[in-house]
Amino acid sequence: MKQLLFAFLLVLSLLSAPPATAAVRPVDVCVTCHGALSARLGMPAKLWKASIHAEHGVSCNACHGGDPMDGANSMSPARGFRGVPIATEIPTICGGCHMGIAKYNAASPHGKALGRGGPTCVTCHGSHGVVKATIDQINRKNCTPCHGFESAWEIRNAMLKTDGMLKAIEDRIIELKNQGILTDTLEKRLFALRNQSHSLFHTLNIDLIRQESAHLQAELEKNNGIGNTGTGLSIGALAVGWALLAALLFYLIKKNID
Amino acid sequence: MDFLKQLYDWVDVRFGVREVVDEKRSGHLLPPNINAWYSLGSVLLVIFCLQIVTGLLLMLYYVPDIDKAFGSVAFIMEEIPLGRLIRLFHAVGSSMMLLVILLHMFSVLFMGSYKAPRELHWLTGFFLLLLAMGISLTGYLLPWNQLSFWATTVATDCVSSIPFVGSDLVELLRGGKQVGFHTLGRFYTLHVGLLPASIVVMIGTHLFLIRRTGVSTPPFGLEDTTNQWQGDKFVCKDHPDGIPFFPNFVLQDLISISLYLACLMMFVFFFPNLFIPSTSYMPANPLVTPSHIKPEWYFLANYQTLKLFPSEIVGLTVQAIAMTFLALLPFIDRGTEKHPLKRPTFTLTAIGCILLWIGLTIWGLYS
Repeated sequence: MKQLLFAFLLVLSLLSAPPATAAVRPVDVCVTCHGALSARLGMPAKLWKASIHAEHGVSCNACHGGDPMDGANSMSPARGFRGVPIATEIPTICGGCHMGIAKYNAASPHGKALGRGGPTCVTCHGSHGVVKATIDQINRKNCTPCHGFESAWEIRNAMLKTDGMLKAIEDRIIELKNQGILTDTLEKRLFALRNQSHSLFHTLNIDLIRQESAHLQAELEKNNGIGNTGTGLSIGALAVGWALLAALLFYLIKKNID
Repeated sequence: MDFLKQLYDWVDVRFGVREVVDEKRSGHLLPPNINAWYSLGSVLLVIFCLQIVTGLLLMLYYVPDIDKAFGSVAFIMEEIPLGRLIRLFHAVGSSMMLLVILLHMFSVLFMGSYKAPRELHWLTGFFLLLLAMGISLTGYLLPWNQLSFWATTVATDCVSSIPFVGSDLVELLRGGKQVGFHTLGRFYTLHVGLLPASIVVMIGTHLFLIRRTGVSTPPFGLEDTTNQWQGDKFVCKDHPDGIPFFPNFVLQDLISISLYLACLMMFVFFFPNLFIPSTSYMPANPLVTPSHIKPEWYFLANYQTLKLFPSEIVGLTVQAIAMTFLALLPFIDRGTEKHPLKRPTFTLTAIGCILLWIGLTIWGLYS
């Protein structure tokens, strides 16, 4: 009897619910407070929520400093809060993560004009509502406030084919993903090639862009036709055909015996 | 040929194999008007064996850990030779298994094969349906993808509406407040241990009962289509003018099995996403709730029924009553007539219920 009771208690203890261990999501006080504000002070939080930075968990403190996890001291200079960055600081702040682009930009005519009315990263990419960069950002509206559009148009055209190839491979990767095919390695490779291509623009050097784009296109060409499943379908048709043939064969034998 | 005969004799003198074969050829006779529907039981046996084999192969590489489960399934599909095929056979096979069980039940229902003395055949078959649904539900969570995670969250949440014990039952099922590490462990244990063992026991009981009572006579092509069982003593139904099980009906079994395999392979090779939608290829994220969470097709009618009633407990009660009625059908329907056209009220009600179930499933899919 004691053994039975022990076995019963053992089963109960195994099945009883252990203490909750679900991870608690940390609260970002910048987004919480500014999200509740209206107009000028609330807008950055709203824009950020739809940005690529939010998608990748890059929060306000990455550019503005401070501590988003400590409500009382979130905007304390002692915690590195710097408020709105001045124009000359912006490439350094963005370059903290986008290092390759920062290097190209610093050496380019844009970078050299920094502090003398030249553009900073936010001129083309915006500040809070930053979205995934596309070739469409090289447009008349962004470029013509400072100079003519001819050279920018030339660069855009040089990058257009590479961009189209990148987009086609991106679509193909989504398609493969939907079929349950592991695309991690492909995605990483595409990410690197895409970064190389988009970083190149920041050199503003048309000859270099043309030359490097040709290399990138050759690299991308290798990925054409990835994940083709033609062989699998042929094997499938053969297997279904054999099964049907077997059914027919058994039917004929049965008919003969009956 | 001599060698084969010698081998046969060698085995026969030791184990009496010739007696078993002779018994299957002349002793085990089946009704002369037996039809192809009777072979669905054999198809189900093959399906179950296939599920066991593919499941064991998947277990070689699957890791039941919330951080590794999704990756291990992806690894099986991508890196292991034939891994994609094995996984698809297992996943598509589970849906096909439920479909064939339902077809088997419908045929038994319309041919009146559940009538006395076969009440327990029906009941064990009904339990097999429940076990198959259970093993499919528990297996559904194992790949730990976004769809399986949230569908399991919704499915287990339904239990919470049971009065008094609902929330405790949910915690018992999940191993905590949320679907998580402990839920995966519990579902894995049920899926690979307790449920397959229960299915084996139930199949054994089902077959034992069939063997003891003999195969029922289909009500087609006969003048007298009433149930002949008197209920006064045990009788094993024999069919002296019948056809031998081997080779005649074995060939019918082989035809049905081959056709089933053709259907299974057609889905696996050409329409795998019909049973495994693209959202199944996204890892589970407890912090992001997808906009539309739907259970697997065999739970869609239950899901839609729950939505139709103002409170979940009413919806659950209605379903419990319907399921209990289905389980106890042989004890409720005591009529002797077996032919579906000679018992029109029953047939029309049964067709109505099946159409209602199909309608609720389609409604659930598009709601």
